[in-house]
Amino acid sequence: MGALIVYLAYMGLQLFVVDHVSPLTFLFSSNFAPDEKHPGALVFIIGSVTITLFAICVGGPLGVAVGIFLSLLAPKRLAGAMKPAIEILVGIPSVVYGWLGLTLLVPLVREHAGSQTGFGLLTAGIVLSIMILPTVVSLSEDALRAVPVALQEGSMSLGATRWQTIWNVLLPAARGGLTVAVILGIARAIGEALAVQMVIGNSAVLPKGLLAPTAALTTEIVTDMGSAQEGTVLFHSLFSMALLLLLIAMALIFAVRLALRRSA
Amino acid sequence: MAAAAASFHVRSAGAVRRRAVNALMTGALWAAALSILVLLAFFVGYILYLGAPAISWHFLTAPPSEVDAGGGIGPEIFNSFYILILTLFFTTPIAMAGGIYLQEYARPGLFTSAVQFCAESLATVPSIVMGLFGLLVFVTMLHWKVTALGGALTLTLLNLPALMRVTQEALASVPDAFREGSMALGATQWQTIRRVVLPSAIAPLTTGIVLIAGRIFGETAALIFTAGVSVSTGRSAYDFGLFHQAETLSVHLWYTHSESLVPDAARVGNGSALVLLVMVLIFNLSARFIGLGLSRRFMGK
Repeated sequence: MGALIVYLAYMGLQLFVVDHVSPLTFLFSSNFAPDEKHPGALVFIIGSVTITLFAICVGGPLGVAVGIFLSLLAPKRLAGAMKPAIEILVGIPSVVYGWLGLTLLVPLVREHAGSQTGFGLLTAGIVLSIMILPTVVSLSEDALRAVPVALQEGSMSLGATRWQTIWNVLLPAARGGLTVAVILGIARAIGEALAVQMVIGNSAVLPKGLLAPTAALTTEIVTDMGSAQEGTVLFHSLFSMALLLLLIAMALIFAVRLALRRSA
Repeated sequence: MAAAAASFHVRSAGAVRRRAVNALMTGALWAAALSILVLLAFFVGYILYLGAPAISWHFLTAPPSEVDAGGGIGPEIFNSFYILILTLFFTTPIAMAGGIYLQEYARPGLFTSAVQFCAESLATVPSIVMGLFGLLVFVTMLHWKVTALGGALTLTLLNLPALMRVTQEALASVPDAFREGSMALGATQWQTIRRVVLPSAIAPLTTGIVLIAGRIFGETAALIFTAGVSVSTGRSAYDFGLFHQAETLSVHLWYTHSESLVPDAARVGNGSALVLLVMVLIFNLSARFIGLGLSRRFMGK
């Protein structure tokens, strides 16, 4: 782990130390022109953040809802059928999700949402929403199961309906665990590369709306790494993006620890 | 009397509303849950519908094609299994040793929590970032170029934390009474682990390893720049050499769509997606059955 951080930090900082590109340019310029020593990565940062937010806004509540269902409502047999289904959803490779998005979602978005190509933020966001579902479902189920049954019984015996119990008692009691579920969903979404790369359109321009094609940090690495010559500004800027992704992943882990400590 | 009736009326209106909300939300929760099952069934059905016409003996065994139509995925399937076995060969001993140490030997302290923290962070490193790390170390620094071994070692790094976690959880599921009983009979700690704890934990351990194997089989982002996007150009495309490029099936699916020039890319993609999906189903089902069978044999259940 240490080697990983040190090595990626070393490579990722080359852009600023050797090529003398200002970190401000890298973070806040939307003009990605590594050939002119101006590798602004803002487009990719915005792309990553937008699709991740989209995924967590759609997949988060849906995932928590299914978690609630599995931990409280589901009849035994249905729960027995859903567990393997969720495991299979986890196991489906990301390229297969990308392929499904490409063959199914892209034509759908093109014809019904009024987008020119069908590739773009919306398509990528939907694919990611589905991909983070299983993570959010199983973690929020665990979080809700960890709430003592006595709390639930107490609330019901005071005359609360099941939904009132869920809303007023169980969800607040499981807040820490649910936060972790959402954060790990974010981690999965922001690090996903190929499924997104296959449907986002891969053009380094600021998107004018949810339907416009653009790119994200991960997809830019996939798209350009194959052709990047070692030692060039492009090569270094791709490693700076990888470093940025690594830092985000570590920040999320700290957030998880914080959420767990707070709820304990 | 009138006042009492009115207050009763108000309360019952509240009760009606509460019941209505309850029924509505219960319905919504059911809908959310069923939508996941429908989604999965739809995915499987759709991929089957797309991919089935592409599957033939020729497709499953023939080498891929760069330019012309009619390429197969034989060497890719071989490479997927080859890299899977290599990766498990490296990952399993290290992860099990780490998991056994953390669960059975380690005392809480700075070192233990540092190892735990590293494992957790490693688990969230995006696979494309791990792929770049593999590119730096194995391809650039060691001058191996893109190789099966480099790909497998990158996947080892990627999956170590998950497998360590599986080991820890499997060991934690063994009741302490087993350990105490064994120690009380005079066994050393290592004898206890080898003869009592590990056999009792074999079912969850195997299930976990097979599920992770399924993940390794489908991994793509970490392999593109470490194991390459074409099959071996040595004597045969089916190459056991560690230092040849080895495009796996999942990489092939990505590559066909985004880079290659073949006119029948859609057919190759559909077929590859179906084979990948079937493999994932096989891994999941066998994990379930192996787990059940082993726990019956070792735990007398």
